[in-house]
Amino acid sequence: MRRKIIRVGSSRGILLPREVTKAMHWEFGTEIDLDVNTDRKEVTLKTIKVSLPDDYNLEHLRGIEEQLNLHADVLGGIDD
Amino acid sequence: MTDNQKKELKLLCFVNWMVARKFDDDFGVRDLDSLKSVVNLPGNGSLTCFLGERLSNRKDLYSQLGWFVYYMISGEPFISKNRSVVLLMLIWALNYYRLEFDVEALTDFIIMLDPLKQGNSDISLWLSNNCR
Repeated sequence: MRRKIIRVGSSRGILLPREVTKAMHWEFGTEIDLDVNTDRKEVTLKTIKVSLPDDYNLEHLRGIEEQLNLHADVLGGIDD
Repeated sequence: MTDNQKKELKLLCFVNWMVARKFDDDFGVRDLDSLKSVVNLPGNGSLTCFLGERLSNRKDLYSQLGWFVYYMISGEPFISKNRSVVLLMLIWALNYYRLEFDVEALTDFIIMLDPLKQGNSDISLWLSNNCR
């Protein structure tokens, strides 16, 4: 998609469409990674990947996530 | 707090974040003391069943799960998705311990549960009768 560079004070900025920030779960104040590739003239915005503390068992968390996806239909509505 | 209690507390926060993110809702702790109560079992015990410990005594498992369900639902430690976190962790634990259960019946039980009428031992009893 095309966006225009706008003035933000004395800096330059672009506005991200709401559908993008919503899809990426980017709220006001969320920190993101910005990669610049000058050779390819590309800038990439990425969600920061958080590394889990040592006392989290990744396999364990994946198992819980698997159950979340498997039973999303019932889990989605019970707190409404 | 013991190391296990801290691990379980972090795990529950992570699960709350995972569920809230999945269903586009707010996440986070509403009441830290209530959350601490969830993982603080009598005698400085904790919810070791959620850390993947293979409990040899089935009674201990039902007792831990009953405690967890009761204090999560009565204390509502998270901003949102408290019952969803309860149901997800129950489904995970019951599968992990290879117990047979009916997801619909379990869901109905969690939705209808009134902590003013049912205590943790009532919940443990229901689980022991319905998840075997």
